[in-house]
Amino acid sequence: MSDEKRISSFQKRLLNHSLSRRDFLRLTGMGVGAATLPGFLAACGGSQQQQQGNAPATKSVKGKLTFWYWAESDAPGANQWMDETVKAYTKEHSDLEINVVPQSTDTLISSFQAAASAGQGPDIASQWATGPVLAQVWQDAVAPLSDYVPQDEIDQWLNTSENEYNGKLWAMPYYIIGIATAYNKGHFDKAGLDPENPPQTWDDFLATCEELKKSGVTPFSIGNQDGYGGAWHFSNMELQNLDSLQEWVNAIIGQASFTDERYTGWYERLNDLVQKGYYNESVNSLSLDRGHAIFSRGESAMSFGTDGIVRQWQNDLGQDAVGIMKYPKFGEGNLVDSFNATQSISHFITSWSKNKEEAAAFLEFMHTPERMKRWFELTGVGIADKRFDASLIKNSVLRQLYEWETTGPQVWLENYNPPQIDSEANLKAGQLIFSRSGTPQEAAQLWQSVAQRWRTQNPDDLQNWRAWHPEISGA
Amino acid sequence: MTRAHTSQKATVAQGRGGERPKRSRLRNAPWTPYLYLLPAAVFIVLVFVYPLIEIVRTSLQAPAATGGTTFGFTNYKFMLTDPAFRQAVLHNMILLLSVPIMTALALLFSLLLWEQVRGWKWYRAFIFTPYILAIPVVGITFIYLYSADGIVNTALKASGLGFLTQDWLGNPKSVLPSIMSVIIYRELGFGTVLFLARMMSIPTDMLDAAKTEGANWFQVHRYVTIPQLRSVIEFFVIVEVITMFSWVFAYVYTMTKGGPGFSSIILEFYIWQNAFEFQSPGIASAVAVVLMVAVSGLIFLHLRVRRAQSGDGE
Amino acid sequence: MVTASSGREGKGPRTPKIAPILSHTVLIAISIVALYPIYYMVITAFKNRKEYLSSQFLPPLHPTLQNLREALSRGDLLQWMFNSVVVTAVSVLVATAAAVLAAYALARMQFPGRDTILSGIVSLMVVPPVVLLVPLFLLMVQVRLINTLPSVIIVYVGLTIPLSVYLLTNFFRALPYEIEEAARMDGCSSLGVLWRIVLPLSAPALLTSIVVNALWVWNELLIALVFLQSNERRTLVAGLTLFQGQYQVNESLVMTGALIATIPMLLLYLFGARFFIRGLVAGAGK
Repeated sequence: MSDEKRISSFQKRLLNHSLSRRDFLRLTGMGVGAATLPGFLAACGGSQQQQQGNAPATKSVKGKLTFWYWAESDAPGANQWMDETVKAYTKEHSDLEINVVPQSTDTLISSFQAAASAGQGPDIASQWATGPVLAQVWQDAVAPLSDYVPQDEIDQWLNTSENEYNGKLWAMPYYIIGIATAYNKGHFDKAGLDPENPPQTWDDFLATCEELKKSGVTPFSIGNQDGYGGAWHFSNMELQNLDSLQEWVNAIIGQASFTDERYTGWYERLNDLVQKGYYNESVNSLSLDRGHAIFSRGESAMSFGTDGIVRQWQNDLGQDAVGIMKYPKFGEGNLVDSFNATQSISHFITSWSKNKEEAAAFLEFMHTPERMKRWFELTGVGIADKRFDASLIKNSVLRQLYEWETTGPQVWLENYNPPQIDSEANLKAGQLIFSRSGTPQEAAQLWQSVAQRWRTQNPDDLQNWRAWHPEISGA
Repeated sequence: MTRAHTSQKATVAQGRGGERPKRSRLRNAPWTPYLYLLPAAVFIVLVFVYPLIEIVRTSLQAPAATGGTTFGFTNYKFMLTDPAFRQAVLHNMILLLSVPIMTALALLFSLLLWEQVRGWKWYRAFIFTPYILAIPVVGITFIYLYSADGIVNTALKASGLGFLTQDWLGNPKSVLPSIMSVIIYRELGFGTVLFLARMMSIPTDMLDAAKTEGANWFQVHRYVTIPQLRSVIEFFVIVEVITMFSWVFAYVYTMTKGGPGFSSIILEFYIWQNAFEFQSPGIASAVAVVLMVAVSGLIFLHLRVRRAQSGDGE
Repeated sequence: MVTASSGREGKGPRTPKIAPILSHTVLIAISIVALYPIYYMVITAFKNRKEYLSSQFLPPLHPTLQNLREALSRGDLLQWMFNSVVVTAVSVLVATAAAVLAAYALARMQFPGRDTILSGIVSLMVVPPVVLLVPLFLLMVQVRLINTLPSVIIVYVGLTIPLSVYLLTNFFRALPYEIEEAARMDGCSSLGVLWRIVLPLSAPALLTSIVVNALWVWNELLIALVFLQSNERRTLVAGLTLFQGQYQVNESLVMTGALIATIPMLLLYLFGARFFIRGLVAGAGK
């Protein structure tokens, strides 16, 4: 729909006072987001080190990019890398000013939603792949990346299928991570377990936890105050019950019920672990990020970590002290043998940005060889790019992890939730279980009622998901 | 001595409302008062009247399955069946419990300060300090103080009360009381100072009389001091009751974001979350309407009670 | 009756007293609890990570300025503080001016609907700001003021007018009319009387109104969070919650941010605690 057409039908609805919820979001469609304010108030806004004697910091000034960036939680060291990348880039392009604003995990989605509703915000933004990115695409908040980046560059990127829709690529991958279950070999040893043979089946896992608990250490640590600890369990556990991704989306679009054991039966197992006391006491008051410190301090025997976090644990505990394993298997679905690698976060250009070409150029710059090498040096996380040299990974543990991430089917199930369902159901349900304020049945019921509500409140999103459903490639 | 005093005297002398001689009416054009009211009126219409009407309208709009909107009570129906809403209402009710606690403590502290021991002004300044701190600052600090290895638990362990240790903000049973304690912590300063100021202007003859009759500390304060404070206490209670419904968003947002699960969700947070995180302005408006009605109801009730009691002076 | 106030001459009221030692003990205990969070903020802000992990409650053995440097360069704390100052100053100024005018009319002039209007305005004090949030947000988006300081200023002015009108009207009504009457008989206009006579006499109520409103606006979170999206526009309290989210794994840094955010108010308070306290209660509780 052309800008003009869009505006006039919208204005009509505005005049008729019949603003729908869709319109509430469509207010971004106006495109022009600049403040109409007298200059002095806008000028009042700029006094920081970012100013280089340029005109006041409003978005309509050519040559300024604002990037709402997220990566540090997955890959510690990312923020430093980004600072260096910006410096390197602006040295070559001195008429450009890039302002990077690191985002926090628990407001990543809501902050961007709020900006999209207002039709103003950053030029480049980060959202988690697939579900969250597409949600923004369908709200017209995203400019199609493939319109600004040449195809031969895009061909070099890995996992681009996570953000493809309608024949276009909408967001750029940067790194590739998987979630490994790390374990502390020393604690295993002390508990009389073989540190070279971590548990593989569910029963083995239960027995292992019991032994660890007896030996006086917390078997598994995670932070779930923001709900993401539970979400990581979701992606590792529910996956095992599914035969295909389309099967999962069936429940999202209403062709199956979440109360069906196939979709939420795994909460029984999680509840079992929680009730047996296998988790750290602070699980409900520490966010996912802060929870990693427990394993760092050697206070737990197992935990979930991405490549970057595992590397940090090795730094803290000693390279040979940390081992990794795949999450124990109990499921019977076809996806049980998939690993969980994903690009995790994706970066895209916003539809209201006035500097789309500059933004695309900067994104491409991130994939240049020198930058990729430096990324790996700082974070230890692999890049989603064919040109990334895997032989750089000298660390045997990280190497093993990278192999798992690039061999065989990969699915990060959380990507396939509409962001609302993810925050209202996935995150909350996990909190119910971990905080013992709800039963597995209540958790399942929560998923179902949240999904129903999402379908009723977002009929257009539902249509989009239904249309996309057949396109979803199985793992 | 102070302005407040002279004005009290004047009030007594003149009667309330400042009746004035007819002369002034000749000076003002009939539209003058409205002119004076205009600036305020503009803001009030913009910020209060327009939104209050809008939320009623928006609350009746829900997205239709075929795009566009329907008018009806869908949002209200949803709200009533949402367990999170019910929890929010319940939690706000529980928050009200902190008002008597706050009031009692503030009275106690102000009585102590009134004795005016050496350096009482310092104590007063210290007690008031939390009130000038921004809520997020207080909230963030208390996250650390209440954490599993924070000072509260450490102090409990050190004094042999180790069995009481909790994950204060992570345990659904203790999270709401913990948040309440932070609210009380901050609002106490206000109450204390307020009561103290009023105490300072109690006529001495009443106190003398009580002392002559041999009343002890408790009796004097219970039968003389506190009744004198009735209007201030009432004021404080009303302000705090309104606060529990209208101005505690920042505490929840900073400390728990409604969690774990729904254990600390409150109406303000529920409305905000529905409007901006879940993109459902219709539902948010419906809850806003309900909240508005509830708060108005409370005030109305209070005025009724007051009117029924009027004639008792003060 | 005798109206001399009690307890002004320093010895306290003539009531039976608690043993001073007991008073002192309790008051000291209360003070420690009241001040502890500030103490905690300060000591944590000057610790590096190692020290923080080893002891949370004791002052740092090797205080460091590293956190301070990082917080000032990383976050936009100073920018946010500036925004808060602008927003608070302008809002309070405009609201007070509008309220003074309205209150004067309500207190001193006769006109139809006066009492209804007054009760109407005062009753608005109970409206929870969250109730007004969605329509105001939509309105600001439509007039393209979203994400600008004026949007929050307008809302704050509206929200603080009822309380100011309440305080000021009560106060004006209680002023002795003789002086105003005299001035009017001398030919002074309404506005002149207001400006030259009434206002100077109203210092206590004005002070209360300004202090209460400034404190409220400075600390307001919900509206600032929703209306001001970009980093450069956020107010201090909204920015601080984001700062905490961004740097949550570095507790010392977060506490440093909180400390920096508190300094302005704290300094004001240190120099004029009496000012604050008296201001807060002078006009309230009628």
